[in-house]
Amino acid sequence: MTCRKAKKLLPLFAGDDLRPRLTAAVRAHVDSCPACWKELAEYRESLSRLKAAAKAESVPDWSEGEWRALTARFRPAVPTTERLGFLAQPRWVAASVLGVFLGLAVLTMLFKDGDLGPRETSAAAEPSIVSLTLVSQETGLQVVWFLDKNFEWKGDKN
Amino acid sequence: MRMNETEKELVEMVLSGHTEAFEPLVTPYRRPLLTLAYRLTRNREEALEVAQEALLRAFRSLARYDISRSFRNWLFQIAANEARDRFRKRTREKAALENAARDKPPSASPEAGRERREIRSDILRCLAVLSPREREVFVLRDLEELDIKETVRALGCSSISVRVNLSSARRKLREAIRNDFPHLEEGR
Repeated sequence: MTCRKAKKLLPLFAGDDLRPRLTAAVRAHVDSCPACWKELAEYRESLSRLKAAAKAESVPDWSEGEWRALTARFRPAVPTTERLGFLAQPRWVAASVLGVFLGLAVLTMLFKDGDLGPRETSAAAEPSIVSLTLVSQETGLQVVWFLDKNFEWKGDKN
Repeated sequence: MRMNETEKELVEMVLSGHTEAFEPLVTPYRRPLLTLAYRLTRNREEALEVAQEALLRAFRSLARYDISRSFRNWLFQIAANEARDRFRKRTREKAALENAARDKPPSASPEAGRERREIRSDILRCLAVLSPREREVFVLRDLEELDIKETVRALGCSSISVRVNLSSARRKLREAIRNDFPHLEEGR
């Protein structure tokens, strides 16, 4: 092997990345050629310095927030059955929740008008329809007349 | 590096619907994956996006994962593909912007500024002398220590292409260390 060819192969030979056939040929040449041997030593030295520097240098790392945000994407979404898991608690818990819910519903219905006391009946309120009941003393026949507030006849009932 | 039994069990759990098992599966690679993405993109924010997308892609395509392979190398393959896709997209966008701004006077691009701010470490500055392909090959083979076969698989190219780019990367880096980073050569 010539020096020219060996020098072309030295970078790969330095990292043991040549095919076996070529490795043997380059090794034989380098063992007998001080110039190529020196160049090979330089390649090996630079490679080893770079690897050492790479191991020693500080490289960035994930912040915990970045890592957590990413790994959260690998976790399954909480299934519906788990979200409603409180329903699987002891019965008394469910019964209490149901009781409170019903109580609130009843109170809401009672006070939805904002009126806490009994309704006032207005004495002044005039009925729109009045009825007049006529009873015969002889026969006991009863007739009911319905009149509006202007005393206009609206109907009757026997 | 083959997949260990715990990883195998976790993969099976995820595939059977226990998706929460994905977190313990990938947690050991949390930092190595980000480091790889950082060395490929040379920018922390972009590395974070690449690593996140790689993990999400891995999660979505776990059913297609071949359990005879190293899980770490499979993740690295996805991250390298993602970084390459982004690089291509950025290159296209940059070209479109340059075309649009051809008549304007030249000024320092925000992209260049961003890279200058990011490139603080010697390793990243060394990697800047490499082409994207050379950088991918060098990072995977020499810094992450994948073998040639795994590097070929991760990059989806031929072993000849990997060897050519690896050889070229080592040659350029040796020159860069000699000329621009003598303190690395002296071991300081």
